[in-house]
Amino acid sequence: MEASAILKIEKLNLDIGSKPILRDIDLTVHAGRVHAIVGESGSGKSMTALATMQLLPSGAKPSGTIVFQDNNLLELTETQMCALRGDDIGMVFQEPMTALNPVKTIGEQVAEGIRWHEGASRQEADDRARHLLERVGLPERQFPLNRYPHELSGGQRQRVVIAIACALKPKLLIADEPTTALDVVLQKQILDLLRSLVEQDGMGLILISHDLGVVADMADDLTVLRNGSIKENGPAADVLHHQRHPYTRQLAEASAHVPDWNSRDASANDQPLLKLEQVSKDYPGRRTSLFSKSSPFRAVDQVSFYIAEGRSIGLVGRSGCGKSTLARMILALDQPSSGSIKLNDVDTVKATGDEMESLRRDMQVVFQDPYGSFNPRRTVEWLVSEPLHTLPDAPSQSERRERVLEALREVGMTKDALNRYPHEFSGGQRQRLAIARAIITRPKLIVADEPVSALDVSIRAQILDLFAELNDHLGIAFLFITHDLTVARAITHEVMVMDAGRIVEHGPSSKVLKHPETAAARALVDAAPDLQKSIKSRMTDIG
Amino acid sequence: MLAYAARRLLTVLITLLAASLIVFAVLQIVPGDPARLMLGINATQDAVDNLRQQLNLDDPIHVRYATWLTDMARGDFGSSYTYSVPVRELIAERVIVSLPLALIALTLSTLVAIPVGIFTASRHGTSTDTATMAVTQFGIAIPNFWFALLLVYIFAITLRWVPAGGFPGWDDGILPALQSLILPAVALALPQAAILSRITRSALLETMREDYIRTARAKGLPARRVLWHHALRNALIPVLTIMGLQFAFLLAGTIIIENVFYLPGLGRLVFQAIQQLDLIVVQSVVTLLVAAVISVNFLVDLAYAWADPRLRSRTR
Amino acid sequence: MSDADLLATEHDDIGQIIKRALRNRSFLVGLVITLAVLALALMSFVWTPYDVTKLVIADRLKAPSFAHWFGTDHFGRDIASMIMEGARNSIAVALVAVAIGIIIGVPIGCWAAAKRGIVDEILMRSSDIIFAFPALLSAVMITAIFGPGAVNAIIAIGIFNIPVFARVARGAALSIWPREFILAARASGKSDARITREHILPNIANLLLVQGTIQFSLGILAEAGLSYVGLGAQPPNPSWGRMLSEAQTMMSLAPQMAIAPGVAIIITVLGLNLLGDGLRDVLDPKLRRDR
Repeated sequence: MEASAILKIEKLNLDIGSKPILRDIDLTVHAGRVHAIVGESGSGKSMTALATMQLLPSGAKPSGTIVFQDNNLLELTETQMCALRGDDIGMVFQEPMTALNPVKTIGEQVAEGIRWHEGASRQEADDRARHLLERVGLPERQFPLNRYPHELSGGQRQRVVIAIACALKPKLLIADEPTTALDVVLQKQILDLLRSLVEQDGMGLILISHDLGVVADMADDLTVLRNGSIKENGPAADVLHHQRHPYTRQLAEASAHVPDWNSRDASANDQPLLKLEQVSKDYPGRRTSLFSKSSPFRAVDQVSFYIAEGRSIGLVGRSGCGKSTLARMILALDQPSSGSIKLNDVDTVKATGDEMESLRRDMQVVFQDPYGSFNPRRTVEWLVSEPLHTLPDAPSQSERRERVLEALREVGMTKDALNRYPHEFSGGQRQRLAIARAIITRPKLIVADEPVSALDVSIRAQILDLFAELNDHLGIAFLFITHDLTVARAITHEVMVMDAGRIVEHGPSSKVLKHPETAAARALVDAAPDLQKSIKSRMTDIG
Repeated sequence: MLAYAARRLLTVLITLLAASLIVFAVLQIVPGDPARLMLGINATQDAVDNLRQQLNLDDPIHVRYATWLTDMARGDFGSSYTYSVPVRELIAERVIVSLPLALIALTLSTLVAIPVGIFTASRHGTSTDTATMAVTQFGIAIPNFWFALLLVYIFAITLRWVPAGGFPGWDDGILPALQSLILPAVALALPQAAILSRITRSALLETMREDYIRTARAKGLPARRVLWHHALRNALIPVLTIMGLQFAFLLAGTIIIENVFYLPGLGRLVFQAIQQLDLIVVQSVVTLLVAAVISVNFLVDLAYAWADPRLRSRTR
Repeated sequence: MSDADLLATEHDDIGQIIKRALRNRSFLVGLVITLAVLALALMSFVWTPYDVTKLVIADRLKAPSFAHWFGTDHFGRDIASMIMEGARNSIAVALVAVAIGIIIGVPIGCWAAAKRGIVDEILMRSSDIIFAFPALLSAVMITAIFGPGAVNAIIAIGIFNIPVFARVARGAALSIWPREFILAARASGKSDARITREHILPNIANLLLVQGTIQFSLGILAEAGLSYVGLGAQPPNPSWGRMLSEAQTMMSLAPQMAIAPGVAIIITVLGLNLLGDGLRDVLDPKLRRDR
């Protein structure tokens, strides 16, 4: 084993039940380096991490060797593994919202590992916990040890999880999609934190991600996984620059994909389709005691803009900036506290009956989660035809079917989907179905809330193509709500940046995304992972 | 925390008021003249008039409700028609049977169920687990009064270890009193213990699948420590809920069990009072029992807040 | 008992459900027991080994024999025949009480979940109040005031099933409402009532079915308790609870009299509980790990 190698996985195979998960995995992690493992869902990247931790689900049968500190981890007893976990190997998980025990303070949870592994006194463990939290950016003044997880935000919780994992200066840290649940600005902060920990402590870091763009800046070494086996393995700059393996190239292209979109340079007509004037939304304050309430919270603050027919607009902003609340009001699922929202010059707040039905017909929605957006107990035909009930005259059975078939055709699905149920389709196919449902009434506007962020990069590229095609052929206007600038870059004419309930910047996409003017917009643009830029800068590093 | 307790207390008071209104209303819709009903068809008109006056039946209904409520609040529960004694005294001499009975049963059931739940959860999937769960299935299915008969037959009739029924009172020492309470308590506790142990087990198993359990395991804690230090307190919420509900079950269970063992407790008192249509006793005792259930649920709410810090800071 | 797993489960065709059912031991045992009890109860309408209305003093307190499988009672009636007829009463009372709970409780719960706010608050606080009355105590009160009998027993037990189903339906519906497919349905302009009918109910039906079997078995126990204290079905209709209270008076003379009715109750309740547990697993397509 080379001097700097701290983890050496050789010929790792894994089956769960009779299902093969991993095949012949070989990889070496070095001290002081970031080793990224990249792959789409089902590639086996998380299972590689769990196999190293020996925290595999029941029924998993690993074979091969995972050598850490001269021990084959697969042969160690549970007691021996317990001594390693949290001490020499730490792990950070994807979901910061659920990764901490809700009934224990953050101090207890950080100190627990220290006391367990080193028998430190409570006083000593608390002191070290205080220091650790400070190090991950949670100074005691603002975040005393007796805070509970629910009092912290997602990004702050992820910092606590990192403090737990790094409490005893592990030799190896495994981070499984540590930023997937966070917005881009937080993502950058967390990645910077991990990088600095690696540099200061000289530990090895395994960084698992589904997105090449995310790891391109960070990784020293890179392993590309697909369907449980390694496609490419080597120094990150080299792998990213040459992209020798076709799958690596495919991933790289997909994550920077820009669809062919004829109407990209079309100039806006001045026919406003959707018009918002001074729209605000207040939520009543929380009751702080029996008799008092805190002041109301303004989620959306005096927003005005309009969308012209056939235009595609991006609404970008960090999580919690009010963009989803705004989307719900536009869709008339929620009422604004003040201001007016007009579609085709009809006020959506005051519309009733037939007027409302016609508004609904002209305005449809696509959600983020391709799993949650369909009633699991209905067939595709029923689900896709659901918005048809807004038609003034109920169509006949055969007419309905005809329209469903046409919508399916337009999103690239075939008619054998009709009588199947949502769970029989993949994530990408379901998102196509969701789009079919949205276009069946021939709407003028589709509001899409993070429509591709739950999808693998290659699927994401296909769905973006589909949106471009629909805009070209059907002239549908889009409002894309996203924290992910790649979508905005790929398929919008204009971008609006939202921050703390206000729209702080609004302009042509090329301008806003290249030369942001406000601090909020700049923060987003700077934090957004950009594969091409990273590759370029790394090549100049090497020279 | 204090604000949370205060808010819960307010809800308790409103619930109590509403419950007393229901008790009062139900007894108002008794068909016919309540005084005539209580005295029987052969009573003289004089006696009926006398009782009507005693019950203030000639007052308007809201006045009667207000009088009853204020009297109750002052501790004046009226006087029983059939026993010709103040209801308060009746309750006082009965509660010292029922309360120890319910408490012993609750303690027994908790002491058995929680360890069994933890034990089976920690040995999840083994044959011990399967066998224990099969036993609890039977435990849930057994009617407590039938189990009581079985206990009487074995321990009182055949083995003669304890009396088959009756209650000697607390004056002759604690032991004889406890002897006559033990079989009823066991009979009450068994089905509850079976339910509670299943709840404990499944709540623990559910909790063990949470993400933060994986975080704790990644810290290097062994499975057993994770179960005790991380899962148990989180699993407590459903367990506490069921324990709160069980108190109501136990109170109702005393009505039947006290009948099986001829125990002079509140359950038997209210049962006999209902049969004799002694409505004054019925409405006082029922209100008292309901108040007990509501108070216990209040304590359970406070225990939630102790177990879950999120509740302490949340509004409702 | 992750009931959440029963919500919004994926659609299965009937073949898959049957396949899972045939592999599930709890379900099969529970189903066989439940069907057997049901069959005995139905059979008692046309045939019982002996006529239970006829008193044969000469045959009183006989031990179990080939002629009288479970022996005879203090009036010389055949206990096996009485068990068969008693099943009728238990099942009818518990079943109708469950139906009352579902028919009234589920719409209330769904309504509360759809409207939220003040409607929800009032409905749920009222169910808190009903829950504060120990069920059996109130059943005793109701039957005593309106007279004992099977119908009043049904009402007494049924009233307490209403808040149970209302709460289960509300809790389940509340967890479905925020789902994106409901938002999509709202975005296409469907009314709350229609969304409840088309989206909510089909997705909570499994959970309600399982709760139904649980309440059914609790109903059997409650009916037994009521008739044990003399407030259930009245003579001459046999009921398991009253058979037990009669057995109690003969406890030292003929303890076997108490065996058959008790075992009948246990087996019926056990069968229903197993059926409920089994159903939960069969209807939840994700392979259940525990229980």
